[in-house]
Amino acid sequence: MKNPYVPEIAKIIDVRDEALGVRPIKTFKVSFQNGHDFNHRPGQCAIIGLLGTGESMISIASSPTKNGYLEFSVMKLGKVTSALHACETGDTISIRGPYGNGFPIDDWKGKNIVTIGGGIGQAPLRPILQYILDNREDYGKLDIIYGARTTNDLCFKEELFELEKRDDVNVHLSIDMKEEGWTRFVGFVPTNLLEVKPPPDNTIAITCGPVVMIKFVIKNLLALGFSDQQIFTTMENRMKCGIGKCGRCNVGHLYVCKDGPVFSYATLKDLPEF
Amino acid sequence: MDSYILQKEKLNNFLDSLKEYEIWAPVQKDATTLFEVIRDFQNISLDLNHQPIISKSAVFPQTEPLFTFDNDAAIKETSPKEEKDTIVFGIRPCDARSFKLLDPVFEGDFPDPYYLTRRNKTALIGIACNEPFPNCFCTSIDGNPFSKEGLDLLFTSLNDSFYIEVITDKGKTIIDKASSHLTQAKAEDTKEKEQLAKASEGKIKRQINLDGIKEKLAAIFEHAIWDKFSSKCIGCGICTYSCPTCYCFDMQDESSARKGRRVRTWDSCMFAEYTLHASGHNPRPTRTERLRNRIYHKFKFNIDNFGVPSCVGCGRCIALCPVNVDLIEILSTIKEAE
Repeated sequence: MKNPYVPEIAKIIDVRDEALGVRPIKTFKVSFQNGHDFNHRPGQCAIIGLLGTGESMISIASSPTKNGYLEFSVMKLGKVTSALHACETGDTISIRGPYGNGFPIDDWKGKNIVTIGGGIGQAPLRPILQYILDNREDYGKLDIIYGARTTNDLCFKEELFELEKRDDVNVHLSIDMKEEGWTRFVGFVPTNLLEVKPPPDNTIAITCGPVVMIKFVIKNLLALGFSDQQIFTTMENRMKCGIGKCGRCNVGHLYVCKDGPVFSYATLKDLPEF
Repeated sequence: MDSYILQKEKLNNFLDSLKEYEIWAPVQKDATTLFEVIRDFQNISLDLNHQPIISKSAVFPQTEPLFTFDNDAAIKETSPKEEKDTIVFGIRPCDARSFKLLDPVFEGDFPDPYYLTRRNKTALIGIACNEPFPNCFCTSIDGNPFSKEGLDLLFTSLNDSFYIEVITDKGKTIIDKASSHLTQAKAEDTKEKEQLAKASEGKIKRQINLDGIKEKLAAIFEHAIWDKFSSKCIGCGICTYSCPTCYCFDMQDESSARKGRRVRTWDSCMFAEYTLHASGHNPRPTRTERLRNRIYHKFKFNIDNFGVPSCVGCGRCIALCPVNVDLIEILSTIKEAE
């Protein structure tokens, strides 16, 4: 019987600041020391941690098409994430997983994709973008709608600015309030979605961000003509085991760790507590 | 299978012949009767007027180390320790049934080696409830004070003897080791046991018809009754700790500068920290949401996921609640709610 509670050890090979301020975000690039093959799907998560401190469920921010490493974008909030933020290149962390269902990205072949992210909610959407750009001919139009409170809070800034220059992807960035030098959209993400107005035909929309943002994004997607089955989101809850046993991450009868974190709005809207 | 008679005065001899097993049994501590590992058989309390609690800890300990590690981040001792064959003696029929509800949680896509290793090595010897307790309602939930479900042997207390029924091969193995202390049961013993069983069932006072409870719950997620019932709850968690079907757990690291261990401990859905996000957001912020979730988990979500409610009708959450939150009253109100 494989012991699902025992993690693998991985080494941090790069640390990047994504956002500064009171709730800083860092992206950790890690690789397994023993050549362990993680073999995840976009949208899956992993339980990462530090022995002696504890563990947290974190979405995997890199695509499986990027061989040899995994990336995790972590906001410094609690005990474990604060300890992670103190880590440097060369330090080791523990990893269990991959966990959860992931996005049904193969079912989306031939479709247009629009991702709608807010703040650190862009992290679980990022593997979708990487996966599609690495398999570009399999997918239709790709729209990235992403916003944060300020330019300081925008994650993956440099790579999104690079993607803006490409003609096979449309990037629509926003910040909540006006800043000097910012020439892109100013306003909330759900409003930017209405500006971009992606047509629903043959399109899948995936959103992640603060709960209140997700609710307004879904409302606006429905107004744009998207059906429940065309809308996906990925959720988070406090977790310990990651394997559907410890009890706390349930939304209705489903466990976010095992049955999620990805849910279609068709599934989600019937659950209590959403 | 067969039935036997063990004279009560020979109980210690019977248990003596099972020395190779680790034996758990009820032990009275002040007003509480708890299950623990028995070193001296004199400590066993089979007093049928006391409802023992927390038999699940024999298989699912309140605290258990998962693994140890040292300061160069090397993980050690990762497998569950070798367990001795274990007997839980004097477990009530409802508690034996509860393991049937715990098993699918710890099996599944990610089998839990700690629980399952211990579970496979454990035999359950039950004692029938001649005298049901005031809040017992097992008969409302597919159980019975003489139920054999999940048991390997069932003892029934007759006047001077125990009537023993062999239920499984595991039970037969135990009987074979202790057979010198047993005699074959006679027809009149069986008759006496059956009379006790019938009488006991008749003594169960509390009843609830749970037909359609899942559908009813689906319709009243937003309802004033949740505020009403949670208003007196103090969030102490005794309902979950004493529940034989509750299994939620936490994982915490204990460490010094040099080495440490990761431990699993029971947790409770009645605590705010259980669902509290690091951001400060809590999806179940008050006792209203937490009590509602407990009822939904037991009488809706568990039926959705495993086909049966996560309750055996033992009544302990009612008996032990310090402020008289009464599960049967809650369920009755749900059934009648509009």
